[in-house]
Amino acid sequence: MMRALLLLLLSLMPSVLWAQAPTPLHVEAALDRQVVAPLLARFQQLHPDIDLRYHDNSTLNVDKQARDADPAPDVVISSAMPWQMARVNEGLAQRLDSAAARNWPDWAKWRNEVFGFTFEPIVTVYRLDLARHMMPPTTHADLHTLLKTHQDLLRGRVTTYSPTGSGVGYTLFQQDARYSPRFWDLVAAMGAAQVSLENTTRNMLKGLTDGTYWVGYNLLGSYAMHWARSHPDIIVQIPQDYALVMMRMAFIHRDAPHPAAARAFMDFLLSEAGQKTLAGSTPLFSVLPDVVGPYTAQRLRDQVGERLYPIPINASLLAFVDPMRRDAFMKRWNREIRILNP
Amino acid sequence: MIVVDGTLKRRLGAWLLAAVAVLGTFLLVEAYTSAQRAADRAFDSQLEAASLTIAEAIQWQDGQPVVEIPAAAFQILATDQQERVFYTILDTGGREVTGNLDGVITDDLRQAAQSAAVWKFATYHGTPIRLYGRELKSAGWESVEPVQIWVGHTLSGRDALARDLFFRALSRFVAMVILTGLLMWLAIRTALRPVRRLRQLIRQRDADDVSPLNAQVPGELYDMAETLNALFERQREGRGALLRFTADASHQLKTPLTGLQSTSELALQSDRPEDWRRALQIVHDSSARTSRLAGQLLSLARLRHADEGTPGRIDLAAVLRDTVMEWAERDAAQHHDLGLAPLPDTPLFVQGEPWSLREMIGNLIDNALRYTPAGSVITLDLERAADTVTLTIEDNGPGVSRDLLDRLHQPFERAGRQDTEGSGLGLAIVDSIARRHQATLTVHSEPGHGLRVTVRFPLLPEEDPA
Repeated sequence: MMRALLLLLLSLMPSVLWAQAPTPLHVEAALDRQVVAPLLARFQQLHPDIDLRYHDNSTLNVDKQARDADPAPDVVISSAMPWQMARVNEGLAQRLDSAAARNWPDWAKWRNEVFGFTFEPIVTVYRLDLARHMMPPTTHADLHTLLKTHQDLLRGRVTTYSPTGSGVGYTLFQQDARYSPRFWDLVAAMGAAQVSLENTTRNMLKGLTDGTYWVGYNLLGSYAMHWARSHPDIIVQIPQDYALVMMRMAFIHRDAPHPAAARAFMDFLLSEAGQKTLAGSTPLFSVLPDVVGPYTAQRLRDQVGERLYPIPINASLLAFVDPMRRDAFMKRWNREIRILNP
Repeated sequence: MIVVDGTLKRRLGAWLLAAVAVLGTFLLVEAYTSAQRAADRAFDSQLEAASLTIAEAIQWQDGQPVVEIPAAAFQILATDQQERVFYTILDTGGREVTGNLDGVITDDLRQAAQSAAVWKFATYHGTPIRLYGRELKSAGWESVEPVQIWVGHTLSGRDALARDLFFRALSRFVAMVILTGLLMWLAIRTALRPVRRLRQLIRQRDADDVSPLNAQVPGELYDMAETLNALFERQREGRGALLRFTADASHQLKTPLTGLQSTSELALQSDRPEDWRRALQIVHDSSARTSRLAGQLLSLARLRHADEGTPGRIDLAAVLRDTVMEWAERDAAQHHDLGLAPLPDTPLFVQGEPWSLREMIGNLIDNALRYTPAGSVITLDLERAADTVTLTIEDNGPGVSRDLLDRLHQPFERAGRQDTEGSGLGLAIVDSIARRHQATLTVHSEPGHGLRVTVRFPLLPEEDPA
């Protein structure tokens, strides 16, 4: 009660008072600083009274910070959706009661505590070299067929996320496995092609650019499309059978030392201004259907149709972080990836 | 005096309010608990379903339970209210196979779940949650140890549903109260309409209209309307009596006045002084009678009208003695044997006024003198009983017939005799005075054996209590 009153007082204080001593705001994010720089700059412009301290980090480190850091970060942003969900389910998030939060689409939030504020399709990326030798893959089945039929040509030239080294990769594979049992055939085929497992989309894109890899599976579309603009030999393919969509999830930490500033930041992320900046100045896509820009969920839908499958922000994500299910998944992965190797 | 003591509407309203308050408290308490129960039932079944889904996924490998938690189980647990979800799977030794509920399941809970499924409200790091735990014994190729599946979730959905159910019950109840109030109001209005109609009917009556009411009334008002009618009836009778009395009195006064007129006219036509003298004599006698008649009428009117004078303790014996003595000396009594029986030595006190008691005794004596032939014996007597004293006057005149007895105390009744000089007011006055003294008048007669009139007074104690 006292806390709530204090928060109310803080939020009611005129910003003039803060001009001399800006409120610090600690954002712990698994999201490259340079990617979202325009977004952060816009926020600073709108809130000169807040001293934004943005730490980008790996998903694992962000999760560790959210659990253990003292003082806790104010806002936690991560693409490792199941872990974000697990933290919220533990009660580490606080509720955001604002117009923006209430109007946020239901499929992109949970309990009004955690919000998916980006919309990032998962894509297959290949080099133009590949197209010279074979029909480029447009679906998951195509990729499987190519891996089977051009096994020798593609050996060592396939890359994807490491399910152990990347939370995003693990989540995507889990979701893939939920949608089709033939996913494991693809894993076996990739194993047979001696797939290289990378921890980040950036590393995969670098490998593709320098010719190490010819085809990459399950890359973050936002980064890849941005990259492809300046690298004409890189082709981004949104799978035509189904395309997973990942969302960055953000929540205000329960023990946030600066909750008012944290709310201001969250409100900005969810606001039309924030989403417009996101869609217009960063490679990330906006969740809101009415935001106009090169990168919006609506525009993607127009291109790909109804084949976009956002990873749902609901309790089912918690299954992915169940230790035993994770163990079982990894056991199967390790079995399948070697199964075609002699 | 009429004092307004609230209104029927308000009284009925107060009762309705009291009934609503008492009933409402019970109903709302009941609604609240049943809403809670219903919400718990609905959400408990979700817990059960989630537990079943998890149980389906449990397998045993090398004697160890292995479970690939189905994502659907969490969605069932979370419900559409997006509850936070908790689950744990414990092996036989109570070790957690997998889950996120560290430390909440105590040994007691675990032991309870061994015999039967456990439902429990608990807390997880200060957050209230609902827990459901059961033991799963599964068949397997090797011998398998039972495991326990515990699932739980937060309570916001239950609370919201219970609140929703409760408020629905509440709004139904409020609507019912309002409707009942309205109906009640209408009912009161309708029920009170006959009262208004009656009031209007009475208000519209002319001042001298004493005819019975002609109205339709409900059973509850019948008595009142009847009473009103009885009152009108008495008024009608009173008015009738008054009119009769006035008519009789005018008639009585007119007769001697007519005589006076004709006598004086005759005398005026004569030149002889002896005729004048005789006429004057007649005029004198006649005006004396008329004067007495007027006096009697006046006392009757006085007696009938109101409470003049204040009653006190009167020694009836003394009054009787004085009055008889006075009458015995009058000319009118010279031809009769007027006597007084021996009276008791002690004073006999009654509540009364001396003048009216003397008037009564005088009228009784006057009556007896007038309606008995000369030489008759008239005796007055006082008899004392336990708490009454009876005044008796008896004569040995001709008496009256039985069917006339009841009418004797009506004014102007002369027992069928028009031959005397009496006015017929005597017994009426006696009757009025007797009534004023709570005394009872009885007239007893055997034709040929005279008339006996008794007046029984209530006797006051000898000693003045004051």
